[in-house]
Amino acid sequence: MSLNIVIAGVGGQGLLTFASILASAVLRRNIKVLVAETHGLSQRGGSVRVHVRIGDVDAPLVPRRLADAIVALELIEAIRSIEYANKNTVIVANKQIRRPPLPGVKAPSIDEVLNMFREFKLKNYIVDAEEIALKAGSSLSTNMVMLGALLKTGVLSKLLDIQDVEEVIKSMGGPWIEVNLRALRKGYEAI
Amino acid sequence: MAKITGPAGSCTLLLGNEAIARGALEGGVGVASAYPGTPSTEIVEALFEALDEVELYVEWSVNEKVAFEVAYAAAICGVRSLTAMKHVGLNVASDPLMTSAYTGVEEGFLIVSADDPSMWSSQNEQDNRYYGLHAFIPVFEPASPMEAKDMAKTGLEFSSKWKHPVILRTTTRVSHTRGPVIFGELPKPRLKGLFKRDVERWNVIYARKLREEMLKRWSMIVEDVNNIEFNVFEDVDSEDLIIASGLAYSYVKDALKILNKTGETSILKIATTIPIPRKLIVKALSKSSKVLVVEELEPIVEGEIKKIAFEEKLNIEVQGKNLIPQIGELTLENVVNAIVKFKGYSYKLPETLPKPTISIPPRPPTLCPGCPHRASFFALRKAVAISKIKPVYCGDIGCYGLGTFPPFEMQDTLIEMGGSIGLANGFAHTEIEKTPIAIIGDSTFFHTGIPALINAVYNRAPILVIVLDNKITAMTGGQPTPETGSYATGEKAPVVVIENIAKASGVEYVETVDPYNIQESVEAIHNALKYVRNTGKVALIVMRRKCALDISSLATRRGIQKPLYKVFMDKCKACKICYDLFSCPAILEQQDGKALINPTLCMGCGVCANICPYNAIVKVTEEKDEWLKLWW
Repeated sequence: MSLNIVIAGVGGQGLLTFASILASAVLRRNIKVLVAETHGLSQRGGSVRVHVRIGDVDAPLVPRRLADAIVALELIEAIRSIEYANKNTVIVANKQIRRPPLPGVKAPSIDEVLNMFREFKLKNYIVDAEEIALKAGSSLSTNMVMLGALLKTGVLSKLLDIQDVEEVIKSMGGPWIEVNLRALRKGYEAI
Repeated sequence: MAKITGPAGSCTLLLGNEAIARGALEGGVGVASAYPGTPSTEIVEALFEALDEVELYVEWSVNEKVAFEVAYAAAICGVRSLTAMKHVGLNVASDPLMTSAYTGVEEGFLIVSADDPSMWSSQNEQDNRYYGLHAFIPVFEPASPMEAKDMAKTGLEFSSKWKHPVILRTTTRVSHTRGPVIFGELPKPRLKGLFKRDVERWNVIYARKLREEMLKRWSMIVEDVNNIEFNVFEDVDSEDLIIASGLAYSYVKDALKILNKTGETSILKIATTIPIPRKLIVKALSKSSKVLVVEELEPIVEGEIKKIAFEEKLNIEVQGKNLIPQIGELTLENVVNAIVKFKGYSYKLPETLPKPTISIPPRPPTLCPGCPHRASFFALRKAVAISKIKPVYCGDIGCYGLGTFPPFEMQDTLIEMGGSIGLANGFAHTEIEKTPIAIIGDSTFFHTGIPALINAVYNRAPILVIVLDNKITAMTGGQPTPETGSYATGEKAPVVVIENIAKASGVEYVETVDPYNIQESVEAIHNALKYVRNTGKVALIVMRRKCALDISSLATRRGIQKPLYKVFMDKCKACKICYDLFSCPAILEQQDGKALINPTLCMGCGVCANICPYNAIVKVTEEKDEWLKLWW
């Protein structure tokens, strides 16, 4: 048994923290997990994709077409990672487009992307994560809102509960614990 | 507590590189040195983090050659040591590497080479296992973070046993994969040693004798790798055999799971690629009629297998790079496809979704909001236009390499560390109409820029050298340089001043500017170009401002507020300069073409306000003194 999750977004959105917290929660249940990141230069606003493989797994990268879930913190990055999806893949996406800061680049609209999910008949959950994160206390917790939403979709329900993730966040220390916990909860309740 | 210092028996989620650091501690490492480079950086970073709890000497060296020599000397003194670098870093260190096998060492010496198949953050995808063949140094290849930890320890022990260096070769997918790692015991390492004078061993005047001894030692190592427990023959009595080295083993295991064919084919897992465990291979080959070799990059194991089959007169069909791509890192799909063809299986992946009809805009990494390099490039372009010269922008390795992309496109060449000034030397003597402008960062300048600068002075190459000095090795995550003034531990360090080096090297025209001050910068570059043209000599400008990413995290930690800037819509004429020509990611284009500043992303650098021709961008909150002080 294995579960493949692809997390897509823009450098600086906290994808690695998302993946590390998720993976630590899985590991607490004594289930094997691997996390791999693919990107050029970290933290420089480029495309980032993180692969999380859970269960009886050895190889770090999710094969194309075999993702059980794609979590996108940005919608252009959701399309860029769509090659990892098949018709049963669950999409959890932040309702946000970030235009790449290149001269003259045209970005698709939010509706165009959402229509594509519908056309492809993909089960999708769209979350206004940054807005929710701001209400929780900081836009920096957008990633935690998305993690909460992913937990609610049921993709991981056989493996872990939101409490497992909360325990990991609490164990991390630092000034952001409360905001992150609120963001996680609000994300969980958002879908 | 640091991540890598947990008690024996505990299981922690670790990055492959962190696992290597832990393994080195378990192997009794007493000295570790490195120059940062993706994907190797976190090894020594993790050791620095552990310094509160474990004792050892750790340093960021100025380049890989020096890092190598620091660790090499420690091992000569009988202290176990580690040096870590990215694959191309080993090129820089290859001079001492080649001879280290001749002299050997007194205690364990582990050289970690982190290779980068697919060139995620590198200029090539060279396969450093060749260095093992070339230099007569054993190469260990782990298949996972857990194995990376264990092999770091075993590598140090094996090196101690044979008094011979060992290379631990990882790739991005081992170094940068997080996985569960179970800790072993931490011994008390030996931190200090003694240099035992032995001229015939440590002085290569006696190299002929050393080479003979080295080859003798090598023949014993060739035997001994057969005893390394990481080489495993999983024999299921099949006629077919899959041989997989390092990480490829993990892909083979999962590919067979996907195909639901686990246990049908014998697998030979190779962990010591150089020298290859010959006895184990002969045993496995003699049971087989058909072999598939799965390995990343070059057909090194494949070549060795073919050689052994020939020498042992085994009539075996060997497949490898005909089915496994030579370019880029392995993927599960590639390995599944190769096994399907090799075994004649039929397998269908789930159906593909239709191709998206939306065109996907590219999103290359960009210079951060507030990055002083953006201001430097902006000023440089303006100065070149005013000076009416044709430039060759000789680029270099660092964040400013991102100046390759629009809107700047000011990295005409970019080859290797320090290559900017080196190539500029050659262009100066051969190119007919263009002025070479070398653009190099502070860390890269210290790394390999200095000899090329001295060469330019001595050989009279009329070039302009621009040192983009952000006082840190930014690209790899912010390691200190000799100019930072502190070590990675936070302790105070001596400051080596770039301007002093330039002057001492004989550069007569040395200027320093603040890139945030665009007008002053343009003028300085313009004057320097004039000087180069008129005198035929070298000019050097230091453009100094701290890394915005570094300041951003520092400000957050200390709770220091940044100033806020705002676009006044009545004044904005939608000229696009701030978001298209200056291209700050914190400035967004609105529907009507006017600019909007995203306050979360904005770093409060104020350069956009400086360059806006309509004064439409205005500072709306004053900065505090402590904010201004952060930047210097």
